[in-house]
Amino acid sequence: MTLQVAAIETFYGTSHILHGVSLELADGELYAVLGRNGAGKTTLLRSITGVNPPKKGTITLDGVDITRIKPHKRARIGISYVPQGRDIIADITAAENIQVALLGKGVKSRKIPDFVFDYFPALAPLMKLKGGVLSGGQQQQLAIARALVQEPKLLLMDEPTEGLQPSVVEEIDTIIKRIPGERGCAVLLVEQNLDFVRDITQKFAILDTGRIVAGGDIGELTAEVVQRHLAV
Amino acid sequence: MTTLLEVTGLTTKVSGFTILNGLDLSVEEQELRVLLGPNGAGKTTLIAMITGQFKPFSGTIRFAGQDITGWAPDAIFQTGISRKFQVPNMYETLSVFDNVMVSLRGRRRVFATLFQVLRAAERDRIWDILEFVGLADKANDPADTLSHGERQWLELGMLIASDPKLLLLDEPTTGMTESDKHRTAELIHEIAKSHTVLLVEHDMHIVRQIGKRVTVLHQGQRLAEGPLAEVMSNELVRQVYLGKGKFQ
Amino acid sequence: MVRDKAGKPAGKRRRSIRRAPLFPFWAVIGGAALVASIGAYPYYSTNIYVLTLVGKFLCYAIFALSIDLIWGFTGILSLGQAVYFGLGAYMVALSLKLNYALTHPTRFGNKIPDFMEWNSLTQVPGFMTPLYSTPVAIAAALVVPTLFALLFGAITFKRHIYGVYCAVITLAESLILQNFIIEYQAYTGGFNGITDYSNYVGPSFLWFILAVTVFFVIVARVLTHSRVGTVLKSIRDNDLRAEFMGYNVANYRIFVFCVSAFMAAAAGGMYAAWVGIISFLNVGPIFSIEGVIWTAVGGRGTLIGPVIGAFLVKGAEAFLSDRLADWWQIIVGALFILVVLVMRDGIVGTAMEWVQRRRRGSYRQILADADRAAHDLQMDWRTEGAPRSGEEVR
Repeated sequence: MTLQVAAIETFYGTSHILHGVSLELADGELYAVLGRNGAGKTTLLRSITGVNPPKKGTITLDGVDITRIKPHKRARIGISYVPQGRDIIADITAAENIQVALLGKGVKSRKIPDFVFDYFPALAPLMKLKGGVLSGGQQQQLAIARALVQEPKLLLMDEPTEGLQPSVVEEIDTIIKRIPGERGCAVLLVEQNLDFVRDITQKFAILDTGRIVAGGDIGELTAEVVQRHLAV
Repeated sequence: MTTLLEVTGLTTKVSGFTILNGLDLSVEEQELRVLLGPNGAGKTTLIAMITGQFKPFSGTIRFAGQDITGWAPDAIFQTGISRKFQVPNMYETLSVFDNVMVSLRGRRRVFATLFQVLRAAERDRIWDILEFVGLADKANDPADTLSHGERQWLELGMLIASDPKLLLLDEPTTGMTESDKHRTAELIHEIAKSHTVLLVEHDMHIVRQIGKRVTVLHQGQRLAEGPLAEVMSNELVRQVYLGKGKFQ
Repeated sequence: MVRDKAGKPAGKRRRSIRRAPLFPFWAVIGGAALVASIGAYPYYSTNIYVLTLVGKFLCYAIFALSIDLIWGFTGILSLGQAVYFGLGAYMVALSLKLNYALTHPTRFGNKIPDFMEWNSLTQVPGFMTPLYSTPVAIAAALVVPTLFALLFGAITFKRHIYGVYCAVITLAESLILQNFIIEYQAYTGGFNGITDYSNYVGPSFLWFILAVTVFFVIVARVLTHSRVGTVLKSIRDNDLRAEFMGYNVANYRIFVFCVSAFMAAAAGGMYAAWVGIISFLNVGPIFSIEGVIWTAVGGRGTLIGPVIGAFLVKGAEAFLSDRLADWWQIIVGALFILVVLVMRDGIVGTAMEWVQRRRRGSYRQILADADRAAHDLQMDWRTEGAPRSGEEVR
């Protein structure tokens, strides 16, 4: 799997948010996109998921131009998304949340894949409960499970640790580390939590007012770089 | 130090689930108390109860010696309690200035506000607050044009304007960048010098930056309470909340 | 001079806020021109039909204005505002009819309204006799609907019933009153309504209606421009935040709802006297929804918008309905859908937005901002730079 984002220009209404943003993701990579609020991180994710397609530039997945493909088809081509704030459907059960994702991928079976309980043992007793009743940490696990059952080539995550207590962040940390190797997909995540990012990812890029201003291997994310691009 | 807020035996149920289970908690005057706990432990519910959003099943809440259990939100506000919501809540179409202006402590009744004019001293105070939270340059902009961090600071400014004795801050740094979080922590630290603050937080960096005394909630009850270092090394707290210490 | 840590003078730095003036220049000029042209109408035309329309439209304009107060500024959608219009109208109509009957006895010689006789009444019911007196009738026309509104508000707003549920209840309220009026035809004229009492179409009454319209527009403007208006807007934007900031949201909603009912009632009362016919149609959901449509088309939250909306829609109807007859209702409905889809802010709202957007970054705005910055600098100099000599530092 390779993802190539080539010089995209994305707008939000008339506001020009992303200016010539390019990045490349190889198979099995864990990649972090950092940046201040308003830098364009969520817009970047929305461009890759197709909700807000770029006006210029291309997004290619395994050599196929997917720039204009509608969002609801992206699950079938191998892109799954874990949104900020989880977006668990509150009125249906946890199991049904996962089944909806299976439906989106076009899987006929309603059975919850076994690996879900291997990754998220805490979810097992909660399957019959309504999504809205779950705690934040449980919802985050459910949201990740929901994306993973679609067997994606590329998993997009928007601030997966936001609002979670430290012990749950640790659990998510362990889970995400397993994903590229065991599920065979690459992970692109947007995050603010630098400790988490340093522990998990291999590559990073920093967005500032819609432009990539820094990037590279995670080792290059020094305090100086952080100070320059992420501080107020 | 006198006790400002005293919660005794507070129990509440929501759709059959017991969220708070006989909770006891007290906060002293001029304290900056941090409230920690897993999701579902009851932190936001506790704040909702204190501010009158829901009536408890049983138990009492006393503030400045008065029993305020079951009072209406606007009456509780008058006693001097102000609340910050987890998601920034403000008046979207009003300007930043007006958001703060309408939050100033003062007249609230319909006929009292009918011919109310903004006094010079009040105007100065609004500017002071806007400068404190760093939004003075955006005073004329409608609130919905602010970035997320700025919205959090605006709401903080509105709370300061309401001149409370007790500030209840529910995860005021959600969704902020690390540097914005530091800035917010500094603001809260400054505010705490002249107000009593009960702060709910998940980000341990912030807690360490400004927290002195910490209460940990778990399953609707108080699990641990004490100075920060002591609570952090509590085995039970590590189990249910902190984890192995990787992200502290 | 005291300086703070950053070395800046620690006096109070005075800045200014951009505030729209209470009566902007263009509004005063435009309004005066409009009032003059309407007021002078009897002088440049003798067309009674159009004169009648203008008087009616002014009443409709006040009705729409009353809806804008609660909907545009406080966020309460009422689908039953006609209740207050209708109650005011019926009070006045009954009073006029009762008095008319005194000098125009029925076939059987009774000095009672014809519809009462048709329903086998031989005298005017006791509870209606106060309406013989004009001052009482006017007071009743204004006070009774307002009390109704107070009751309604106390029941719904105090119980935190807002939004969609409130809209449904107002709709029910309107239907109930409509049916009540049809049912108790002995007292209300039922389906036929109240007709054939003297009407007052003429220049002086037109000027009176015009004066009342201008009065209400000014009152609405002062109210929404005041602190109360800001609080109402904050309740509209986020009633949760307002409530936890100490405002009794229910009381504010009740207050504005009563003011709005008072205005609608006044409009109804004048309408009844002007037009000479009143019926259950003026009380029901259809008229209520029409008012909402005028407000939406004109631009809710703008005050002037609903006034223009009422004139535009009703004017177009008067002009086109004889050609398009049955199609008219469909066109009005389609217009509403169009406005909601394409021009959410209505005509005036969209125009204001357009002007604002052109102003931002325009030369005029840059000048205005520069003026303001210069003014601020002057004020700074006065408090910090000028010699103080015993003057108190503010």
